[in-house]
Amino acid sequence: MSALAEQQQALLNALFAWPADTAEAQLHRLAQGVGNRPGRGLQAYQAHGHALAERALHSAFPVLAQLMGQQGFTDLARAFWHSEPPQRGDIAQWGASLARFVHQSPQLHEVPYLGDVARLEWALHQCATAAEGVAELGSLALLMQHDPETLGLQMAPGWCVVGSRWPVVSIWRAHQEDGPPLDQVDALLRQQVSEEAVVWRSGFKPLARQALPGEAVLLQALQTGHSLAAALAMADDLDFSQWLPMAVQTGLVLRVVPWPSSFIGDPT
Amino acid sequence: MRHTTLQTMSPSTAAGLGWRQPHYAGLLEMRPAIGFLEVHSENFFGQGGAALAVLERGRCEYPISLHGVGLSLGSAAGVDTWHLDQLAKLVERCDPVRVSDHASFARGTLDGTTVHAADLLPLPFTHEALQVLCSNVQRVQDRLKRPLLVENLSAYLQWNVNPEPQLDEPEFLARLAQTSGCGLLIDVNNIYVNALNAQLSGRCSNPLAACKQWLDRIPAAYVGELHLAGHCRVNDEHGQIVIDDHGSRICTEVWDLYRHALTRFGTIPTLIEWDTHLPPLEVLLEEVAYADALAEQTLGVTA
Repeated sequence: MSALAEQQQALLNALFAWPADTAEAQLHRLAQGVGNRPGRGLQAYQAHGHALAERALHSAFPVLAQLMGQQGFTDLARAFWHSEPPQRGDIAQWGASLARFVHQSPQLHEVPYLGDVARLEWALHQCATAAEGVAELGSLALLMQHDPETLGLQMAPGWCVVGSRWPVVSIWRAHQEDGPPLDQVDALLRQQVSEEAVVWRSGFKPLARQALPGEAVLLQALQTGHSLAAALAMADDLDFSQWLPMAVQTGLVLRVVPWPSSFIGDPT
Repeated sequence: MRHTTLQTMSPSTAAGLGWRQPHYAGLLEMRPAIGFLEVHSENFFGQGGAALAVLERGRCEYPISLHGVGLSLGSAAGVDTWHLDQLAKLVERCDPVRVSDHASFARGTLDGTTVHAADLLPLPFTHEALQVLCSNVQRVQDRLKRPLLVENLSAYLQWNVNPEPQLDEPEFLARLAQTSGCGLLIDVNNIYVNALNAQLSGRCSNPLAACKQWLDRIPAAYVGELHLAGHCRVNDEHGQIVIDDHGSRICTEVWDLYRHALTRFGTIPTLIEWDTHLPPLEVLLEEVAYADALAEQTLGVTA
């Protein structure tokens, strides 16, 4: 290892090791901090990392942060920072594995739905920066002119389905404006009601709602390359004649496209 | 590979503004007369969405300076290809007047996994670090097909180099520019923060004089942008330190150093950076106007 690589590894170790005593001692053989005490400079970098971790995760997981409370979320951000540090130079990319980290955290086993809330929020976070899609309402006429075996649907940017054993959409919505009251969500939690979320972006706004019966099956079938006819055959619980106008109006479906060369968007 | 010269990169001498999310709408509504907008490149790495749409609107009104914080140009592990791909797409999309990042590292390997510390960590001023930095800068410039500006840091650690440091910071930066063909982004506040921290460590008796000497050793031809910002003094249970937090007005001493830099470097695009405890837009515009007024007083140039 070169001298430079050794220096850089020592500083990264001192920032991410936890506890950091050994790593700090190794670093201080290679460098000295500025300020009026030898350890002051390193502490400034460590504090910056912790503050940034909390700020970045709070931005991507605001509902998780509310559910955990300030101290709990601060502790989670710090533990995640040390356990699974960022890998990219864009901090907004950090957090994809937070849901798994939460699921596997022994301290959070008594709140088993938190990981699924994190999964839903990460889907929304990703959706916010997905490539644009353009709606083409005129393409709906294809449904009258062609066999559904030869058609597909192009969906909104960043769309995906998030399934959960918990009422994850209701929990998330209860923390938005005009969401259901918390006591209603508590009742759903006690009954362990499972919910599937449909996530998509309408204009610039990431949205989530509970999937209609059969809707998740339809969307997943389209995503895996089935024609509209084949997807509808699998989603026999879905009332397509009611779903399609709603899906178009809310921006989930952008247009009807020829299949098999259909483009269903880029699910997150 | 040589690219367009630094002189072609500076279409405006009026000071610019760091454009942050709370002021996206307000600035587009007010459309103040400023030289350029600076944005953090990484905030626009998405493929679509609201942020890119706002940047597109800003670009219609002002020249854009893309300032990165995550390239990790001094990393012995090299530059992340993914990061460079995102930056190249953004440069193509918004055709900025300048592209910059820092003489720092953040990327490396821990337990066999690549990590990024999301910070601007200091380099030793050694020939080895210079070689790595030049190589990484060259790779970025070749990909972007334009010169990069590289910024000096406020550093909270100093590497022990044995034998004694072969280079000091001004010489290190000058050689970087000379070798790689990049320009230099001189952050005047960072120089002053480093001098204040050196004073706290007992290594500097006159911070202002030390900063002027530092500026005097930077060849003017390499300087493509100047940054001005506020800093804070922290005194807590860990000790005393000065932090470059970009969270307050520019102090008198940094304005004094800005005058000195203008005298040394001439009319250089100058950025007012304010990233934490963001005040109303009007306060930022007062700082921009003051920078322009100082340039006019010092050089007789009207922005």
